[in-house]
Amino acid sequence: MTPGSYVALWFPHLKTCWFRLRRPALRDKPFVLAISDHGRKLIAAADPKAEAQGIFAGATVADARAIIPGIEVLDDISGLSDKLLSALAEWCIRFTPVAAVDAPDGLLLDTTGCSHLWGGDQPYLQAILTRLQARGYDVRGAMAGTIGAAWALARFGRQAVIDDPAHQRDELLRLPPAALRLEAATLDKLQKLGLVTIGHFSHMARSALRRRFGPQLLRRLDQAFGHEEEFLQPLQPVGQYEERLPCLEPIATATGISIALQRLLETLTKRLQKEGKGIREAQLKAYRLDGKVEQQKIATNRPSDNAPHLFKLFELKIEAIEPDLGIELFTLEATKLEDLSPVQEQLWAGDQGLEARPIAELLDQITGRFGSGCIRRYLPDEHHPPERSIKPAQDLNEKPAIPWRTDRPRPTILLPQPVPILVTAPVPDYPPLLFRHQGKVHQIKKADGPERIECEWWLREGPHRDYYCVEDQDGARYWLFRSGHYTGDQTKQWFLHGYFP
Amino acid sequence: MTYIELQTTTNFSFLRGASHPEELVTKAHEYGYKEIAITDRNTFAGIVRAHGAAKELNMRILPGCRLDLLDGPSLLAYPTDKNAWSRLSALLTTGNLRAEKGQCHLYRSDVYTHSAGMKFILVPPAALTPGFELDEAFRNAAAEYREAIGPNLYVAASRSYLGDDTKRLHRLSQLAGRLDMPLVATNDVHYHTPDRRQLQDILTCIREKCTIQTAGFRLYENAERHLKPTREMLRLFRQYPDAIRHTKEIAEACVFSLDMLKYVYPEELTTEGRTPQEELIKLTWEGAKGHFGDTIPPKIEATIEHELTFIEQMNYASYFLTVHDLVRYARSQNILCQGRGSAANSTVCFCLGITSVNPAKFDLLFERFLSSARNEPPDIDVDFEHERREEVIQYVYRKYGRDRAAIVATVTQERRKGAIRDVGKAMGLSVDTIERLLHSSWRSDAELYDEQRLKEQGLNPKDKHLIKVLELTTQLMGFPRQLGQHTGGFVITQGKLTELCPILNARMEDRTCIEWNKDDIDILGFLKIDVLALGMLTCIRKAFVLAKQHYGLDLTLANIPQDDPAVYEMVSHADTIGVFQIESRAQQAMLPRLRPKTFYDLVIEVAIVRPGPIQGDMVHPYLRRRDGLEPVEFPSEELRNILGKTLGVPLFQEQAMQVAIVAAGFTPSEADALRRSMATFKAQGQVTKFQEKLINGMVAKGYTREYAHRIFKQLEGFGSYGFPESHAVSFALLVYVSSWLKCYYPDVFACALLNSLPMGFYQPAQIVIDAQKHGVEVLPVDVNYSGWDHLLEPRDSGSVGTSQSPADFSVSPQPLAESSNSSRAPTASATGANPYRPLRLGFRQVGGFKEEDARLLVAGRDALDRDGSPGIIGSPGSGPCPAAYTSIPQLRDAGVSQPALERLADADAFRSLGLDRRRALWEVSALGDRPIAMFEGQPAESAYEPSVALPDMTASQHVVQDYASTSLSLKAHPVSFVREKLDLLRILRTGDLAGRHDGDFVKVAGLVLVRQQPGTASGVVFITIEDETSTANLVVFHDIFMAYRKVILQSRLLMVEGQLQIEGEVVHVIVKHCHNLSPLLRDLVTPASRDFH
Repeated sequence: MTPGSYVALWFPHLKTCWFRLRRPALRDKPFVLAISDHGRKLIAAADPKAEAQGIFAGATVADARAIIPGIEVLDDISGLSDKLLSALAEWCIRFTPVAAVDAPDGLLLDTTGCSHLWGGDQPYLQAILTRLQARGYDVRGAMAGTIGAAWALARFGRQAVIDDPAHQRDELLRLPPAALRLEAATLDKLQKLGLVTIGHFSHMARSALRRRFGPQLLRRLDQAFGHEEEFLQPLQPVGQYEERLPCLEPIATATGISIALQRLLETLTKRLQKEGKGIREAQLKAYRLDGKVEQQKIATNRPSDNAPHLFKLFELKIEAIEPDLGIELFTLEATKLEDLSPVQEQLWAGDQGLEARPIAELLDQITGRFGSGCIRRYLPDEHHPPERSIKPAQDLNEKPAIPWRTDRPRPTILLPQPVPILVTAPVPDYPPLLFRHQGKVHQIKKADGPERIECEWWLREGPHRDYYCVEDQDGARYWLFRSGHYTGDQTKQWFLHGYFP
Repeated sequence: MTYIELQTTTNFSFLRGASHPEELVTKAHEYGYKEIAITDRNTFAGIVRAHGAAKELNMRILPGCRLDLLDGPSLLAYPTDKNAWSRLSALLTTGNLRAEKGQCHLYRSDVYTHSAGMKFILVPPAALTPGFELDEAFRNAAAEYREAIGPNLYVAASRSYLGDDTKRLHRLSQLAGRLDMPLVATNDVHYHTPDRRQLQDILTCIREKCTIQTAGFRLYENAERHLKPTREMLRLFRQYPDAIRHTKEIAEACVFSLDMLKYVYPEELTTEGRTPQEELIKLTWEGAKGHFGDTIPPKIEATIEHELTFIEQMNYASYFLTVHDLVRYARSQNILCQGRGSAANSTVCFCLGITSVNPAKFDLLFERFLSSARNEPPDIDVDFEHERREEVIQYVYRKYGRDRAAIVATVTQERRKGAIRDVGKAMGLSVDTIERLLHSSWRSDAELYDEQRLKEQGLNPKDKHLIKVLELTTQLMGFPRQLGQHTGGFVITQGKLTELCPILNARMEDRTCIEWNKDDIDILGFLKIDVLALGMLTCIRKAFVLAKQHYGLDLTLANIPQDDPAVYEMVSHADTIGVFQIESRAQQAMLPRLRPKTFYDLVIEVAIVRPGPIQGDMVHPYLRRRDGLEPVEFPSEELRNILGKTLGVPLFQEQAMQVAIVAAGFTPSEADALRRSMATFKAQGQVTKFQEKLINGMVAKGYTREYAHRIFKQLEGFGSYGFPESHAVSFALLVYVSSWLKCYYPDVFACALLNSLPMGFYQPAQIVIDAQKHGVEVLPVDVNYSGWDHLLEPRDSGSVGTSQSPADFSVSPQPLAESSNSSRAPTASATGANPYRPLRLGFRQVGGFKEEDARLLVAGRDALDRDGSPGIIGSPGSGPCPAAYTSIPQLRDAGVSQPALERLADADAFRSLGLDRRRALWEVSALGDRPIAMFEGQPAESAYEPSVALPDMTASQHVVQDYASTSLSLKAHPVSFVREKLDLLRILRTGDLAGRHDGDFVKVAGLVLVRQQPGTASGVVFITIEDETSTANLVVFHDIFMAYRKVILQSRLLMVEGQLQIEGEVVHVIVKHCHNLSPLLRDLVTPASRDFH
C-alpha cells in the first residue's frame, strides 16, 4: 500500500460555535440547542460553558434548566451540521482537492502531496487549524498515514502529526476502542470485557475477534493500521454537466466576465446538443481571490441549448457579480436539465400557445429584465373569499393543484378591488331590484343567491358577504355583494365584484 | 306553526360539533323550543347529557342519530318507541363491533333490517352538480331507500346560504314529489351560536390534521349552521311550509324518551327457584353463621334484618347477588379480593364475603352506603389482585355474555395542555411556540394564562393571533375528545344490554364497553359494579402460596392471627418497607409518633397521613391529644358521640357529614352534597358555599363562632382528599395482613413483594436490603437455580446458592446491622440457625431479559434433569438440583437466544458454571458460529481457540455492573468502597446517626434514593440517601436548596453537613451544606465507564 497522508478534523462544538458566531449575545452565556422528541425537549448540543456545568447532549431541557435555571435554550436547526460541514469542507478545498464530510462532527482531508507548499506537515496542519479557529470554531485535528489513525488521533490522541508508521502504531494501541469508529453495541461489549484500549485486543486471534465482534471491528483495525485501504467520498464530485475555466490572470472587468461566460456556455451547450438535453437551470460560480464565491443563477421556461439565448439571460446579471480583487476560476453548471424534444420545423406557424419557443424565450427575457411577477398566470387556490381563491402561477408549466371550482358560480372577470355601488334591495337578504354603477342604472331582471361567504377570521375579522349573481335589462350579468347583514336601521354597503360572460 | 330542529350535531360527534349538548339545549330553550332532536354521528354518546339538561328545563329530547353509511347517503334516524330505540341501538352495536374502536361500519342493508318503528330523514349532498341537478347516485339511492323503508322516509332540506339554496330546494321538492318522500326542514346545526364557527373551523383542522391556513374548502364557508329561532326558520322556508310542518309530524310520532328505558338487574343468580330477595336472605344468614357461629349477636342480627328490609324495599337484592357472584368466582379461582369504600358499612356485604370489616368490632354506618334520602343505586367497589383482575373481567363477559355486560365509558376531555396543543397546531403555531405557551399557563384549569408569564416566555400578549389561540383554547377545554373505558366499572343487565345502549370495542383486546359514562348511567339509574385492581392483593396471595409451600400454613385474609403485639411493635418502629399504605416516608415519620397499638390505630394511621387531614391541620391536634399534652374536650355531648373515637378531631368523611347534620342542622342530603363537594377538587368553590350555612348553623346551636370556623377549616381540608372510615378500615385490614407477613415471614413477604412489582414506593434494592436486615439470606441470580420469579429455596438445600468457584472474586454478603428483630421469627431456634428460607433472585430482575427466554432456560434445565446429566461439578451440597447446566452451549441448545445469554452474563448469572461475568460474556459472544446443518453437534471452532486472558474485574467494578444489570448488588454496597475516603473526611455512617444527639452537627453521605418536593411543603425538598449501613432522611429548606440546587440535582453520591433532629425514633438531618461526591464513584470503575455518573 502506498503511504498516504490524511488529516482528520474534529469540531466538538460545531453547532454551538456557529450559533455563538451568529449571536454575539451568546458569547458569555451557557446555552443549549434543543429538539422536540415526543413532546419532550431534548438537548441536541450544549456549548462548552454548559458542558462545564454538567449539561450534555441527550439530556432533557428540563434537567438543564434545573441545573442552570436561566440557561438559554435555542431551537436546533435540523440538518445544520451537514450544512456547516459541507461549507467547511468546501472551504478546505483551498488546502487539498479532496475534502470529505465525516458526519456528524468532522472532516477528512486527503492531503497526500499537499503539505510541501506550507513547508511541511506540522505547519500545514497548523495553518488549517489556526485559520479554522480564527473563523470561530473549536477544532482538533491530526495528521497520520491512514484515515483511521488520523480520525483516532484527532479525537483521542496526544499528538497532532505522526509520520512514522511504527510510532503511529504505538500511539493507536494506547487509545480506547472508541477511537476505532465502532458501533455503540461493540464498544459496550468491549468495555464489559475489560478491553479498554486497542492494545488489549489488537493482538488477539483474528478468528476469535471476528466471532465475537463481527467483521467490522477487524476492518476498522485494519484501516487504522493501514492493512486495508480506505477511500474518501469527496464533497464535490465534479458535476456531470459542469465546465471549468481557470484564469491565468485574475479577471476583474465585466467584459472579461462576459467572455468567460460565452466560452463556458459554448462548450456546455455543445455537449448538451450532442446528448439532446436542454438547460432549465444553470449556475455560474466565480471564485474570487479572497476566497469568496460569487454565484448567479438563471432559469428558463422550457429547456434550451441555445447559447445566445442563455447568454442573454446571464448577461442581465453580470453586473451583479462583484469581482473585487479579481476572479481566478469560473465554473458553469447545468443544475437542472430536461430532454430537449426537438420541435419539428413547421410548414406554417400555428398557434402553439405556451409551447411556442419564442414566447418562452420572450417571457424569460421579460422576467430577467423586469423581475418576476410582472406578467402573471393565475391558478385556483383553496380559499373561500374570492380574492384569495386564486394565486399567481410560479412558472409557465405549473399545473393547478386543485381543479377550478365549478360547484359555485364565479365570474370570468374578478375585479381586484370591489367597486361600491348604490342598490335598492328588500331586507334582510333578498336580491337587489336595481343598482347604479358609473352613472348607469341597471334594472335587475334575474337574480340568484345569496351565497354567504365569511371572512377568514384568522387573517382579519369582519362582516360576511352575501353574493348575488344578477342579470340586468341588457342581459349583462354581474356579481354583486352586500357586506354584512341588515340589522336594525344600519344601511349596508353594496359592491360590484365581477362580470360574467 | 311550530318548527322543531331535527338535525343537531353535538361535540360528541368528535371534532365536528362545536357545542356541548347542554349548550344546545339551553339555547333551544331560550328560543322557546319545547323539543329538539340530537343526532350525533353513529353514536348516542351525548344524548343522556342533553336529556338531563332538557329535563331540568322541562323540554324533551328526541333521541336520534345520524347514520353515516359506508355505501350510501347518510340518514337521520329517530326511534318512535322503546322497541325502535332498541333496534337502533342494536344497529349501532353491529357497526361498532365490526370496526376498530372509534369507528362504526354500517351498510344500507343493516339499516333496512333494523328500520321498523323508526322515522328517517335522508341527508342530501351539499351541492348540486354543475348542471344544477341532484347527483344521480343520490337519486338512485333515494329511490332505493324509499322502496325499502317506506313512508317513514323523509328528505332533509337545509338552507345554508351556499348560493344555490333555491335551486336545491326546488330539486329536492321535485324528488320528494316523485318518490312521495316528504320534504322536512332542518338546519344541520353544528353549534348553538354563530360565534362557534371559529371553533368549528379549528375542530375541522384537528380532524383533517391540517392548519387553518391550509384547510381551504374543508372549512364551511359561512357560519349558518347554528341553531336559529323558529321565526327565522319559518322565513327561510316560507315557500315550503310543509317542510316545517313535517318537523312536527316527526316529533309527534316519536314519543320515545330516555325515561322509558328500564334497567333490570340480572336475575339468573338464584338457586332452587328462589326470588333474588329470598336467595340474598339465605346467603346472608349462611354467611353470618359462618362468621359468628350459631349464635349471632343480637345487635348484628338486628342490623342484618334492618339492611335486608331496606334492600327489599329498594329492590336491590339482585345487585348484591351479582357482586356476591363475582366474589365467589374469584375465591373459587384463588384470586384474592376485598370490597372497599362505603360498601364496607354494610353488614350484609360482610356476611356475603364482599367486604371484610367486621360489624362486631366496628360501628358501621349503613346510611353512608345506602340511604333512601339519596335515592342512588348502590355502588360497590371490589379490589382484585392486579395481575389477575382480567380473569374476573373475562368471567363477567363469559357469564353474562357480551350482549349483557360491558364496561362503562369514560369521556376523555380536552384538558388545558391538550387544548393548547390542538388549537396551537391548527392555528399554525410552531412546536416551539406551543411549548412556550404551555409553560406560560397556570396549573389550574381555571386561569388559562398570565400576561407576565407570556412575556417571560418571549411571547407578545397583545398579539392578535395569540389572543385568538388562547380564546379558542378556552372554548375547547372541556370538550369530549374520545371515549375511553372506565377502570373497571361494569354494567350488567337482565335483557340485552344493546337494547339499552350501543356497545363498542374498547382499545384493549377482549374488552367491550358502552358509550355512556358513570354520570350518564347514574341519570338513567343503571347498576354499576367496580372491578378494581390492587397490587397488594397480588402480593398477599403470592405470600399465602409461598407460606403454604414452605411452611405448610393455610393462610387467608381472615385467619391471620389478630392484634399481635409483635406486629404493632414492628410497625411502631416504622419498620414498614413494602407494607401496604404505611410504607411512604410520610407514613414512616408518623408511625413512631402514633405508635399504633390496636387495629383501630392502623385505621387512623391510614386516614391521617393524607393531604386532607394534613391541610386541615388535624394531625397535630390529634397527636397532642393522644399523647395527653392537650385535654380531650368536646364542646357538646352530641359531638362526643361522633368524634369520640378520634379524640375530638374529625378525621373521616363520615364524621364530617355527621357534624354537619348534628351540629349545624344539615339534612342528610345536604350533608351528602357537602361530602361530594369535598370529594371533587373541581368543585372547590362549592365547599365555600357551605361555609356560611355550616357556621351559622353551628352558632345557632350554641357553638362558638371560633370553634365553628375551626371545624369548617378542618372539613375544608377534605376538599383535596379525605378517606371515609369504612374505606380506611378496609385498607387497614390489608395493612395489618401485610405487616403480619413481614413480621413473621420476612422471606415469604419479600419474595412475594418482589414478584408483584412494580408497586408501592420501593425499588427491589431496598426491598432486598430490608429482607437481609430481617435475617433473610438473599442469593444471586443464577442460571442453575433461578426461575423467572424470585423463589424461596428449600431449607435443607443449605448453602447451594453461595457456590462460587475458587478463581472468582467473591464477596461475602455484606455484614448488615444485626437484626434485633429476628427473635420474632416464630421458628427461631436456640442454636441461632437462620429460621428463614433463602430468597433466590429470579430472572425477572435481570434488565432486558425476557420471560420467554426464562421459560426456555428452565425447560432446558428440567430436561437435563430427566436425562440424568451430572450435577454441578464441585457444587457444595448437591441438594434438589441434581442436574444442571455445565456449559454455555447447553443453554444455547435449550433455545435461549444469544442476546438473552449476554444479559445473563451481564447479570453475573453463570457463577455456578465457574464463570464470572466477564469470562461468561467472552464465551457467550463466541456462540455466534454455531455449527449448523451437516456440522450440527460438532464442537464449534471457538472450542479450539487459544484461551485469552481478560483483565480481572475489581470488586467495585462487579458491584457497579450488578447495579447496571439487576439494579441491586448482593456483593457489597457501592458506598462501602469509598468508606475509607469518607472516614478521612469524618463522614458518619447513616446507621450511626440514631446514636447521636438531637442538635448535633453531622456529616453524612450516601447514594441518593429519592428527591421529593411535595406541593404542600412550601418549597422544602426531602431527600433519602443510602449507604452500606442504612438510610438517612434529609430535609432541605428552600433557600438551601436554591443555593445547592445543582449539587442536589446532579449528585449520585451526595454528602451533606447539617444538624440532626431526633424526635423519638424519627431522625432527620436538616441540611446546611451539600457536596457532590459522585466523582468518588467514578473512580470505582477505572478507567472509563458510563454507568455511574
